[in-house]
Amino acid sequence: MVFSSLLFLFMYLPVVLILYYICPRKWRNLLLFIVNLVFYGWGEPVFVTLMIFSTIVDYTCGWFINKYRETDKRKAKRFVVASVIINLSLLGFFKYAGFLTETLNYLPFLNIPALKIPLPIGISFYTFQTMSYSIDVYRGDAPVQKNIITFGTYVSLFPQLIAGPIVRYKDVAYQLNHRRETLDDFTKGVCIFCVGLAKKVLIANQMGALWDKLLQNDMPNGWLGSWVGIIAYTFQIYFDFSGYSDMACGLGNMFGFEFLKNFNYPYISKSITEFWRRWHISLGTWFREYMYIPLGGNRKGMARQMLNLLIVWFLTGFWHGADFNFIFWGLYFGVLLVLEKFVLKKWLDKAPAFVQHIYALFFIIFGWVLFYFSDLGQMGAFITSMFGFGGTVISADAGALALSYLPMLLVAAFASTPVMTKLYRKIENTKAAPALKTAFCIVVLGISTALLVSQSYNPFLYFRF
Amino acid sequence: MKKVYKCLPAIVFVLFIVVMMALFIILPKKEYSSSEKRYLQQAPAFSFQSLMSGDFGDDFEKFLSDQTAGRNFWVGLSAYYNYCIGNNGSTGIYKCTDDYLVNDPEDMSNLMRNVGYIEEFAESCPVDTTVLIAPSTGYICSDILPAVHGEYRDDEMFSEMKETLSSAAFVDIRDTFKDEYADGNQIYYKTDHHWTAYGAYTAYKALGETLGYTPLTQSDYEITSYPDFYGTTYSSSGFWMNPSDTLEIWDNPANDAVVTTAVTEGDETSEQQDMFYYTHLEEDDKYPVYLDGNHPYTVITNQDADSDKKLLVIKDSFAHSLVPFLADHYSEIIMVDFRYYVSPVSQLIESEGIDQVLVLYSIDNLATDTNVGRIG
Repeated sequence: MVFSSLLFLFMYLPVVLILYYICPRKWRNLLLFIVNLVFYGWGEPVFVTLMIFSTIVDYTCGWFINKYRETDKRKAKRFVVASVIINLSLLGFFKYAGFLTETLNYLPFLNIPALKIPLPIGISFYTFQTMSYSIDVYRGDAPVQKNIITFGTYVSLFPQLIAGPIVRYKDVAYQLNHRRETLDDFTKGVCIFCVGLAKKVLIANQMGALWDKLLQNDMPNGWLGSWVGIIAYTFQIYFDFSGYSDMACGLGNMFGFEFLKNFNYPYISKSITEFWRRWHISLGTWFREYMYIPLGGNRKGMARQMLNLLIVWFLTGFWHGADFNFIFWGLYFGVLLVLEKFVLKKWLDKAPAFVQHIYALFFIIFGWVLFYFSDLGQMGAFITSMFGFGGTVISADAGALALSYLPMLLVAAFASTPVMTKLYRKIENTKAAPALKTAFCIVVLGISTALLVSQSYNPFLYFRF
Repeated sequence: MKKVYKCLPAIVFVLFIVVMMALFIILPKKEYSSSEKRYLQQAPAFSFQSLMSGDFGDDFEKFLSDQTAGRNFWVGLSAYYNYCIGNNGSTGIYKCTDDYLVNDPEDMSNLMRNVGYIEEFAESCPVDTTVLIAPSTGYICSDILPAVHGEYRDDEMFSEMKETLSSAAFVDIRDTFKDEYADGNQIYYKTDHHWTAYGAYTAYKALGETLGYTPLTQSDYEITSYPDFYGTTYSSSGFWMNPSDTLEIWDNPANDAVVTTAVTEGDETSEQQDMFYYTHLEEDDKYPVYLDGNHPYTVITNQDADSDKKLLVIKDSFAHSLVPFLADHYSEIIMVDFRYYVSPVSQLIESEGIDQVLVLYSIDNLATDTNVGRIG
């Protein structure tokens, strides 16, 4: 189930909210656990077993880690390793086995039957979350969770289950048992949810439509047309992802949770280093804490630091998808970050701000080309068309599309900056604020509903002929 | 009171989603959507198997979106919202001046493959083949289009078609249509993708020379107008406030007693003494009034025709409003529609003693139809 669907908005959410608030406090985690599983299992009920398996395994590991943590470090460590191995095996099997068999088959003497395993949604996110639990308990950063239902609620918590943010256990450990839902937080959550809904349905989906239409054009779009397309995709992926994170945070607030921010205006960055501090923050934090620093980080000399960075970025890329282009994409940023750290930084710092912005945006946007095309031939053709080797500037059809979506492109560009938030801070405490917020929520809900319903409006066009 | 005002966004939000849910549960479920011409999803039957396979979940989601309270209102709101943010044509339909709703340019990449099939057919066909392709509305009526629109590549496509179709007589209707349109005649419907009766009549006149008949004049017909016509571009667009169109029937009174239409669907053939099926005038989409709309195989016989020639028409629905004009000049017209008709045409030409073949499509349909290969 996804948040930006009629099923979620007009069935699941109202039912869950009503049940949650009539439920006595002590049963609320159990209730959340159950509705989480309904949410998760809606499309693929079989995978609910996977979630329950994950819960039991990590609960057990955590319990033993806590038991031996003080007395027998070696035994405790064994359970951390077990938890990490089981989680990575789940991820490896469901996400990477197909890719692996396919890749191995390129070897001339091998012919393994290709594995086609459906990817359980959210598996990349919740395996990372549960690993953070075992490691945090081992490190003494988080208390053990003795109640398996409460632990299950954390593992399966529906707001961030499918697309993050990756909530570390230590960040919500206290909230799981001691959260207090308030009307103020609920109101804040509603507003954040609506912001996320607007990002997803009003901006990301429109940008996605533009990108798809440009890709489907039967005539070459021209170099400018290609740039318009990849810029639309740049907006689509940001508003889609950060919209989803906002909706998750907003929903969290409605149920008394407080999650950390996942995006912080990444497209206003002046360098790639800054971009990754602002983009998908929870993932970057995870890799830094549980991978980069344990590998030695920057404490073991420059050569080792460079290697560490490349390992982390290889894995970051591969985490995003089981295909070569995601690995390229990760390494591309790894190389850029190493270059920035050791070479470009001095030069960049002296450059005027707009040069820094253009530099960062160029490499971010170009990165999305690598991210989007898993077919290397198509990727090459697209890059060729972007740099105008023997093409038109912009075809008539691409031009018409670009103009049709120009207002939304401008809105997207504007919404990528913190200007709106600054304006909001100014009116936040005025008397008119609640009325304005209400109007905003109504408009977003109304138009989002219209756009979502119209997706299901499919005139059966036999009568077209 | 202050507290209530402060929490107004939350109150409104919860009200909105709860009321939408309640309306979905309470309101009676619709079975059929006339604007979409399809049956809507009903409550799916629950079983353990359907749940585990995920089918129940999928069907329930369809059920919910098909039965959302105020569905048509939301569809309209979406259309007008997109129009307001500058994205005219988001549904594939442009809202044009003069209340025209026009299809955006069709993907032409498969057109020439289909034209190639027609050429192969014409080359081996024992009788003469004539081809008439209706240009797109957006090409003929280019002055009504919004400032920002895709490119209608009819000119380029027509020259390519002419070149390819060397074994057939190609009747190029573009200039005639443009002249007629410039004179203020309505060639295409405003709320439908088809040509009007006048457009069809114009094409009929243009075909006379090649097919070898003298067209009747406009005054030979009794013309009746039927208002409140909401066709396909209206129902796919969501622009519900667009006014309706008027459909005309041009009837030659002399034909009333002598023309029979026989429609074959599967093994069943039904006949009637007329070419117009008036019951369809009660629907929003009135175009099936001509020859009862789409059928695999339709035969029109005229006992009193100018000639005893037999014509085979290979066509899409644009032919339905044109063939009634042709009926004056042929003792028998057979129409086949490859989307439903699967037997070989060469056999038909032989067994029925066909004298002439007319291939009649609109350019958009010819570019997208995947069944034209059956012509061979």
